Amino acid sequence: MDPYSTEGELINIHTHFYQSQYQEVIDFDTSSFSAENELPVRVLKLRARIALGQAEDVVADVKGEAVPDLEAVGALAEYTLGKTDSALKTIEKLASSAADNVTVQVVGGTVLQAAGKSEEALALLSQHQGSLDAVALIVQIHLQQNRTDLALKEVTAARRWAQDSLLVNLAEAWVGVRVGGEKYQQAFYVYEELAQGSSTFSVPSLIAQAVCEIHLGRLEEAQSALELAVQKDPKNAEGIANLLVLNSISGNNTDELVESLKQANPNHQLLLDLEEKSSLFDKAAAKYSAKA
Amino acid sequence: MQSSPGMLTKFESKSSRAKGIAFHPKRPWILVALHSSTIQLWDYRMGTLIDRFEEHDGPVRGVDFHKTQPLFVSGGDDYKIKVWSYQTRRCLFTLNGHLDYVRTVFFHHELPWILSASDDQTIRIWNWQNRSLICTMTGHNHYAMCAQFHPKEDLVVSASLDQSVRVWDISGLRKKHSAPTSMSYEDQIARANQNQTDMFGNTDAVVKFVLEGHDRGVNWVAFHPTMPLIVSAGDDRLVKLWRMSETKAWEVDTCRGHFQNASGCLFHPHQDLILSAGEDKTIRVWDLNKRTAVQSFKRENDRFWVIAAHPEINLFAAGHDNGVMVFKLERERPASAVHQNTLFYITKEKHVRSYDFQKDVESPTLLSLKKLGSPWVSPRTLSYNPAERSILVTTPADGGSYELLSLPRDGSGVIEPTESKRGSGNSAIFVARNRFAVLNTANQTIDIKDLSNNTARSFKPPAGTTDIYFGGTGNLLIITPTTVYLYDIQQKKTTAELAITGVKYIVWSNDGLYAALLSKHNVTIVTKTLEQISTLHETIRIKSATWDDAGILLYSTLNHVKYALLNGDNGIVRTLDQTVYLVRVKGRNVYCLDRAAKPRILRIDPTEYRFKMALVKRNYEEMLHIIRTSSLVGQSIISYLQKKGYPEIALQFVQDPTTRFDLAIECGNLDVAVEMAKELDKPKFWTRLGTEALAHGNHQIVEMCYQKLKQFDKLSFLYLATGDHSKLARMAKIAEHRGDFTARFQNAVYLGDVEDRIQMLKEIDLYPLAYATAKSHGLEEECEAILEASGLTEDQLTLPTMGKPLAPPKPVVSTFKSNWPNKASSQSYFESALLGQVEGLSLEDESNTANGIEAEHATKEETADKLIATAGEDDDDAAGWDMGDDDVPEIDNDFVNVDSAEAGGAGSCEADIWARNSPLAVDHVAGGSFETAMQLLNRQVGAVQFAPLKPRFLEVYQSSKTFLPALANLPTLLNYVRRTVDETDLRKVLPIIPRDLEHLASNDLQKGYDSMKANKLEDGASIFKGILHAILVNAVSSESEVAEAKKLIVSAREYSIAMDIELARRNLGSIDEIAQDPAKVKRSLELSAYFTIPKIEVPHRQIALLSAIKVAIKSKNYNSALGFANRIIANGGSSKIVENAKKTKAQCERNPNDSIEIEFDQFAEFEICAASHTPIYSGAPFEECAFDGSKYHSSYKGSICKVCEVCEIGKHGSGLRLFS
Repeated sequence: MDPYSTEGELINIHTHFYQSQYQEVIDFDTSSFSAENELPVRVLKLRARIALGQAEDVVADVKGEAVPDLEAVGALAEYTLGKTDSALKTIEKLASSAADNVTVQVVGGTVLQAAGKSEEALALLSQHQGSLDAVALIVQIHLQQNRTDLALKEVTAARRWAQDSLLVNLAEAWVGVRVGGEKYQQAFYVYEELAQGSSTFSVPSLIAQAVCEIHLGRLEEAQSALELAVQKDPKNAEGIANLLVLNSISGNNTDELVESLKQANPNHQLLLDLEEKSSLFDKAAAKYSAKA
Repeated sequence: MQSSPGMLTKFESKSSRAKGIAFHPKRPWILVALHSSTIQLWDYRMGTLIDRFEEHDGPVRGVDFHKTQPLFVSGGDDYKIKVWSYQTRRCLFTLNGHLDYVRTVFFHHELPWILSASDDQTIRIWNWQNRSLICTMTGHNHYAMCAQFHPKEDLVVSASLDQSVRVWDISGLRKKHSAPTSMSYEDQIARANQNQTDMFGNTDAVVKFVLEGHDRGVNWVAFHPTMPLIVSAGDDRLVKLWRMSETKAWEVDTCRGHFQNASGCLFHPHQDLILSAGEDKTIRVWDLNKRTAVQSFKRENDRFWVIAAHPEINLFAAGHDNGVMVFKLERERPASAVHQNTLFYITKEKHVRSYDFQKDVESPTLLSLKKLGSPWVSPRTLSYNPAERSILVTTPADGGSYELLSLPRDGSGVIEPTESKRGSGNSAIFVARNRFAVLNTANQTIDIKDLSNNTARSFKPPAGTTDIYFGGTGNLLIITPTTVYLYDIQQKKTTAELAITGVKYIVWSNDGLYAALLSKHNVTIVTKTLEQISTLHETIRIKSATWDDAGILLYSTLNHVKYALLNGDNGIVRTLDQTVYLVRVKGRNVYCLDRAAKPRILRIDPTEYRFKMALVKRNYEEMLHIIRTSSLVGQSIISYLQKKGYPEIALQFVQDPTTRFDLAIECGNLDVAVEMAKELDKPKFWTRLGTEALAHGNHQIVEMCYQKLKQFDKLSFLYLATGDHSKLARMAKIAEHRGDFTARFQNAVYLGDVEDRIQMLKEIDLYPLAYATAKSHGLEEECEAILEASGLTEDQLTLPTMGKPLAPPKPVVSTFKSNWPNKASSQSYFESALLGQVEGLSLEDESNTANGIEAEHATKEETADKLIATAGEDDDDAAGWDMGDDDVPEIDNDFVNVDSAEAGGAGSCEADIWARNSPLAVDHVAGGSFETAMQLLNRQVGAVQFAPLKPRFLEVYQSSKTFLPALANLPTLLNYVRRTVDETDLRKVLPIIPRDLEHLASNDLQKGYDSMKANKLEDGASIFKGILHAILVNAVSSESEVAEAKKLIVSAREYSIAMDIELARRNLGSIDEIAQDPAKVKRSLELSAYFTIPKIEVPHRQIALLSAIKVAIKSKNYNSALGFANRIIANGGSSKIVENAKKTKAQCERNPNDSIEIEFDQFAEFEICAASHTPIYSGAPFEECAFDGSKYHSSYKGSICKVCEVCEIGKHGSGLRLFS
């Protein structure tokens, strides 16, 4: 039986993970779980800890473990700590030795994609056997490659066999925000359902809901949602970044938000991007000058 | 009396005797009824026979065109009247009834009636609509020779061999055949009681007058078109003029001269003349008022039988024993001369007038030439001498004479010339300010005369000289029938000559470098030294020509205005409904004189010839301008460009994909060809594209073509040739899928894949070959396996000796990675400019050109992107194969695509698409493409200093995308915020723009106003500049919003200038500092005055005026203060301010003087230079900022605009685009 199916033991903890409720994942009581699920649970909990920024603990935790799953998680932790080379080496080794391991596929795919090796990530993930985790990751990779068409295809295919799974809904929402039009509203419903339920709430979901509202042009709603998100998690760089974008769209001054974003995550891609564009601007502007 | 030279034959036909003729009222057609039973339809302009109608039996005597319908009627000796359609070219029906020859037939001018006169002594009226006879008029007792309707009244006139002319009243007939509704009760009573009948009881047509006077039979009779006059011609050789009143008619006079039977006569349609023709072989022209002979024309052998006049234009036709001649009585070309902006010409009344081209005004008569020559002969030429304001007029009367007259300064009615100098000569022209040349053809001399008409010198021109023209300073052009000579008057010798026949007119270009020699059917363009440049032939007669300022000749034929370029290219500019004589062309106006010698303006579209001229001169800017500003399309221009070898330019005009494809192939523009081939998607096009691309070495396109065409073998070979092993491998796989063993074998050979070959050979049971292959490659294991499978042993086989195994060469260079580099020159300057124009651009300087080319590269890259994208779309199809799907792919797929996902890679992000979708700078900014955005702004408004726009650029850019959290530990998903929220078509999506027009108007502008009110001018100035920057990088959603945006720009500009001025005043120093320096005091006063000039909102202007009053009064400039106070009062508004102003006014009026003179005239119209803050008076030269429109003294040209701080002053762009 699929441990992730509706009757499976792992369904709730897994759902928590993908709802970005990482603390709930860690706190999940798994003592009654059967032995065969011990490893997947451990992997999930470790990944949740990485997501919460406790990568060092994770590295220490998995040190010396020879199970491919744990090695992969260890590599992810290393990667988030900046040890990209050794992380990649581990993943590449795993990709050739244990490519049929779904954890290796998903976690390895994450690392590869994070390192910008999309093709390798897709190659690894293409070997999955009906794993929604892998599908979701594939969708995200396609979207990051700006291949909305492929992402859409992947989601449509997954929808056929995975029905109303959370991951498929999420993946569909991601694609929807890209495609736009009516899809904005559909994506909004997905996130709203998550962000408004007390058991499903997480800051990232709320942020995603606000993003949909921005795209829908409902700026005031987006504003209140994002303010709430930042209030709940003042260190959440994505919340600040989106708030910054929103304020910019509304024609407000964004200097303060830039500062707080710098504090939250000085390497946020918005900041890096703006910096790059700023120098690009200066370079391009230098080509012009008045005659007199 | 001698035959006059004035009669000009325009057309002659040769045929049997012509008995009836009729002019078409509109077209240049004439119907001729012949004695041989044929009716001919001629085009007398072209001189061609259009049609023949042969249904009459025996001679046809009468024909007439219907005025409006495509009909004509004929009557002949077969007693029949036939009605024909010249459209369907057949006889519609026949009216039978006459009992003898039908002599004449005529249509009524408005009723559906035909009038016929017959030898059966009756005159009949027929209704051709219901094809019935409606009236028979009896009374003549001999052949009725001719009967005509009155052009307006209900009258008929008839002539008979019974020597009488009869006038019939047919008003009864009209009433009878009118619709009953139009008849009042009284009319009906009147008609019922009508007892006025002729002797047969006929009330429809009654004889009104019987005119007796001819001593023999009368052959012809005609009404005057307007006056109550009748003219008749008879066998007594006389032409008689009759007059009639309401109650009686009488003979007026007789024109004697014909010495044989007079067969036809008519009134001139416009002039007081009578024309008659007779069997004495003459046509005679008579003065209607004096009844004296004016002209006569004699033919050697042909008796004249009939004469007709064109109803509209000055043309006549006469039928004689051997055909028909169409002729004019006189030249209609008005004598004229052009000097600068003035045309001098001679009207039909022989008045000299002038016409101002610029003002489109005719002068009153300057001079009357009534006494010049004979009254019926108009002057032939006019030559004007601007230095003396005198004219030379020649007339052909009296064997040719000229007259030298001086023109009065301005005309005041009909003035007889006070003094004139005259002499005999055929041509007379001014050759210098005080010299003119006179040609006398009779004794073949040319005299050069001074202004007192004394001959200064005289010489013999080349034999047979017919005319002389001005030939440039000190030169004459002398025309003989076969040659044109350039004659130097000083040296008295011919300096150049050109063999050219029949030149009639010479027209010099405005710059005097070229001359057009016009003959009847040819235009020859020569240089001033008489070197022929080009010549062209016209089948239609050429009438006149004039040069435009750009050196293009416009000439008129009978029915067209055409142009000719120096290289001989010519074409039609417009058609003409009547003949005109061109005198000048300026822009879209062609000025000409019509045949009535009235100046007229014809509107033309000069686009086509300007474009061709630009093409010839390779003036690409001009061409670009024309292409952009006019709708220059059409097959002719395309084929012209193609013919002239500019397919790449023709490409720009074509929409039709097939033609576009052809042109693109022709000029080697593969990008366009690919685009079109995709659109057409037919094998034929792919094949051609493949061939062309191969020639270019563009193997990527070749590959695509082969894919589309499913040419697997070619593809394989291409991959082999380009060394693309991975794709070759894929081809092998495809071959396997297709079950095509030959292809598989071939691919395996290309790949050097021995195993696959052996495997394949085994699969098709060719074990011997498999064995041989394995053996030759030394694959012993495989050999044994094969032997085993086939149950043989090695010694049972004999093999030929084998050489070394074949291995395909390894590619040294990875050709497949990129195309052969092409020389960039294949793109013409013009084309790149056109492609680069996402937007209008001015190609002023090099940097812009470079930009254009850059942009063009960008387009190329985009195309490449698109290629990848389209390739990518089909990835999954190819992927399907790899997954080993069962269905054979090419069955349900349109074409083979061997690019799989691995080559697909990343797509283009939406931000890139924005830039592609939009020509607006702001969308490029949002897409992060700052370079192209800057290019656009630079071209649109001459933006050069972008630093102030940086905050706006970054603001727009950072508003463009959101960050969607997705899976843990991966970067967030970027999504692009659109202003087109409902749009999902990627070709139409556009980015969101922060601070749009509405936001600016309701927020920033109000803040600006607030700072003005609060006297925070520094803040205000930066707010308004910010508004300008925000509009500069912005987009609106409709044309009306564009107008609003422009308003906002204007108001931000005015505030910005106003605040700058006031700030400049405040920066002069503290009050004390200013007080110590008189220059500063003056400047302070001036600036405070200028502060009131910008067009800011009234309440704010009041503030400015108050401030100005304060400053002025302080310096005792009461007059200025008074002016300001008056303006405040005029502005009205807040009563407190107005009250104060009134007080000030009262105070100042006591002493309205300025103690300090300042440069401020409150009554003058001026604007403030935004840089120097000094006035620019209206009329003074100035430069502008192309974006905000702020004005500057011209010395600031090239520096940065002080208002927007972005654009270069005086640099003109295509204008800001906010809406696409």
